[in-house]
Amino acid sequence: MLGTLMKYEWRNLSADRAPLAVALVLGAAIAYGAFNGSGWVRFQRGAISEALSEERERLHGLRTEIPAVESGSKTVSAFADPRLPQSLGRSMGTRYAVMPPAALGSLAIGQSDLYPYYFRVSTSSKETFINNDEIENPVHLLAGRFDLAFVFLYLYPLVILAFSYNIVSAEKESGTLALTLSQPVSLSRVVLAKILPRALFVLALSVLLSVVGVIIGGADLAAEGALWRLLLWAGVTAAYGAFWFALAIAVNALGRGSATNAMMLADAWLLLVIVIPSVLNVAVKAAYPVPSRVELIQAIRVAGDESTRQGSQLLARYLEDHPELAPPSSKPGGPPDFGTLQVAVNEATERKVQPVLAAFDAQLANQQRMVDRFRYLSPAIVAQAAFNDLAGSSAHRYQHFLTQVGAFHGQWREFFVPRILKKEKLSAADLDKLPAFTFREEATAAVTGRVAVAFAGLLIPLLLAGASALTALRRYPVAG
Amino acid sequence: MILRIARKEMTEMVRDGRFRAAGAIVFTLLAGALLLGWQHYREVSAQHAAAQKATRDQWLRQGKKNPHSAAHYGVYAFKPKVPLTMVDRGTDPYTGVAVWLEAHKQNEFKYRPAQDATAVQRFGELTGATVLQLLVPLLIVLLTFNAFSGERELGTLRQLRSLGVSQTDLARGKALGVAGALGLLLVPAALIGVVALTAASGQTDMIASAPRMAWMTLSYLLYFAAFVGISLAVSASAPSSRSALIVLLGFWMFNGLIAPRAASDIAKAVRPAPSAFQFAQGIGKALQGDGHNSASARGKRLEAELLKKYNVDKVEALPITLTGARLQDGEEHGNQVFDAAYSDLWKTFGEQEGVHRAVSVFAPALAVRSTSMAFAGADFPQHAHFAQAAEEYRRMIQRVMNEDIMKNAGSTGVYMAGGDLWRKVPPFSYTAPDAGWVLARQSPSLAILALWCAAAGVAAMWASRRVQVY
Repeated sequence: MLGTLMKYEWRNLSADRAPLAVALVLGAAIAYGAFNGSGWVRFQRGAISEALSEERERLHGLRTEIPAVESGSKTVSAFADPRLPQSLGRSMGTRYAVMPPAALGSLAIGQSDLYPYYFRVSTSSKETFINNDEIENPVHLLAGRFDLAFVFLYLYPLVILAFSYNIVSAEKESGTLALTLSQPVSLSRVVLAKILPRALFVLALSVLLSVVGVIIGGADLAAEGALWRLLLWAGVTAAYGAFWFALAIAVNALGRGSATNAMMLADAWLLLVIVIPSVLNVAVKAAYPVPSRVELIQAIRVAGDESTRQGSQLLARYLEDHPELAPPSSKPGGPPDFGTLQVAVNEATERKVQPVLAAFDAQLANQQRMVDRFRYLSPAIVAQAAFNDLAGSSAHRYQHFLTQVGAFHGQWREFFVPRILKKEKLSAADLDKLPAFTFREEATAAVTGRVAVAFAGLLIPLLLAGASALTALRRYPVAG
Repeated sequence: MILRIARKEMTEMVRDGRFRAAGAIVFTLLAGALLLGWQHYREVSAQHAAAQKATRDQWLRQGKKNPHSAAHYGVYAFKPKVPLTMVDRGTDPYTGVAVWLEAHKQNEFKYRPAQDATAVQRFGELTGATVLQLLVPLLIVLLTFNAFSGERELGTLRQLRSLGVSQTDLARGKALGVAGALGLLLVPAALIGVVALTAASGQTDMIASAPRMAWMTLSYLLYFAAFVGISLAVSASAPSSRSALIVLLGFWMFNGLIAPRAASDIAKAVRPAPSAFQFAQGIGKALQGDGHNSASARGKRLEAELLKKYNVDKVEALPITLTGARLQDGEEHGNQVFDAAYSDLWKTFGEQEGVHRAVSVFAPALAVRSTSMAFAGADFPQHAHFAQAAEEYRRMIQRVMNEDIMKNAGSTGVYMAGGDLWRKVPPFSYTAPDAGWVLARQSPSLAILALWCAAAGVAAMWASRRVQVY
């Protein structure tokens, strides 16, 4: 029976021009979104490859410059001596720590236009290289971008609602509902038969089109976990779409007219996609205000000034803590050189600023926790988080990158600081020993874990809407 | 007659439960957004004022130093908040809040507030501007979509015709009615805004921002009027209330959500900005210079010029210290490089804004977004205006330090200066551009809004004259 009903429903639909219109609108939006997303990924890749080739050329230049300085055929000032670990580690020999766009990066630009994706790591404090923001017209950051995530979060629900807002009410209004129900078939079954072809059509279309979009956009599906993530993307899309279909049926089941249904569903969309997220954003910021960056700037400066004033005392204390690093020929009381002082001053400044920075991280983590807790208020927030996670443009992946950059920064200093303190000079061969950064992608399991929570966040409202639809359909006033 | 129609419409709307509910939501959001904006403004401006004072104290109390070390130490400039940002924060969350003014380098602003927020921020911030640009038009659509089609469906349109009511009078009356109903919401909200503004900024600042507020109000009124006109026109020409609603919701979506994003992408494609890496590389290369512009060539030229100027034959005989002259020469070379690089970049941003303006011919939300954040003082040109002022202050510091070195450093030993020199640098003060400055830049967008308003009015009149009675 269900099969027969679905067959006729599909015939009905095909006779209408609606599916074609839907396919065209959704197809155009998805194609445009995929195009924009892949453009952004290409831009990032371009900037990264330019940075890396600059690094390659610079290090290559040092390989010939160092022997030249050693042999005395080239003279340089003390500040620009490439053999000195303090100049090499602070600027001349520095390397980039790079987070390339993820395999599915073109799907959602997400937060990736707001966070830096490469840093030039040096022996100086992290604050000197961590603000490497990409140039972008701020109006574009404000408006957001037309990427696939936008299409799915905002437009796709509207396409679904346009397709199903009158799924029962129209039959009632045209009088065919009573006729159909005079057959031995329940209303729930009829509704299921009407909704399934539509749902399958829209879901299949959007999954298919986004896969095509991703592939055309140059995604690297051979990358580890990429196919799995694409599958999860399709799953989240399907669950999010199913929620909107269920909501449409639930509203239809209330037995109002088509116009009222349309109005109620438009209100629901506005509430879930626009109002709740922006209210949550405000609430989160009010509950956990991030300390002022302006005060951070001052704190760093005050700490820096203090450390500079106490320079030589700090150095003495530092060397007491690290006797193994003391320069071999240090005469007590002799003036320490600039590079050595800098190490101690940096260390002390960072120790003082650390609690202030920790306060930022703690508040941001609190904000994120609150968003995570309250995101279930709107499937749109749940889906946004999942999309960003899968595309690798979430704050999680950025934090993951920052952790690795922190570790690399430590490694970089471990390489240079002992050499600075021991006043060693480096040779061209030492350039091969410089630490290098390789980005380790987030574990697929971690992403899967977060997306699994998102699934729960989508399935629960889906089930709630479905259950309320089923109960209401049982009391549906077919003739009345 | 028109007034009578308007009164009937208004009474009907105000008594309608749906309007009350929607109106209450919009009013609550608007009032809430304004109060939050007020709190935000007070906090941030207090922080910035305190920090600006602290950075000045640090500069004055830096002790004995070589002037060039002091120049390297530098000061920070913190972007002040202007009172109207409590209505519209514009691009402020996406531009940095502070810039370090140090020797040799025009730095980028750092710490964009949006970086310290979660991804939910990207759904849009709840500000007065969001409510006014996105939700109020939706309310207008919901109030007016069945203005004509609803009367027709009820059969009352025929009655009205038989009474001899002219269609255009009906349209005018309905427009006035909607305006009245909206006024019930927006006037109290505006009053809350004015009170909050006065409380936040004091009476004198309040009077100073009055012209900006007036222009901002005008642009919103044009925007709302355009929406009323469009809605009435669609309602009069659509075959049914349902199709009127669908068309209007479609337009609302396109106008408020799709067009701004599409405009960003088109602008980026048509007028791409360089990557931060290319930008920095370009500056680095230009600073190094080449041939006659390289540091050594410039040094030689400077020496020759100075020898000639003071009519001596060797550097040691110069009455000034060469190091200071060299430093200042380097600064001036740098200034040219930075001026060229930033004017290129800002020109690109300006062209991107031009693309947005072109798209606003199809979507008035883009035009009102532009005028609103401009009159609020939170758009990119005003950010650039501040950046320019900060940069000029930086250059002044460099000049004062280098001239002191030239005059007083001598040629032997380490030269140290103290508080007297630091005090020679006046404190940084910045005056935001006045409403006229903004108006000159925003007149195209205002004209586009006025055009939208006029075209929508004409369309409403035209459609109401041709409305199908049956």
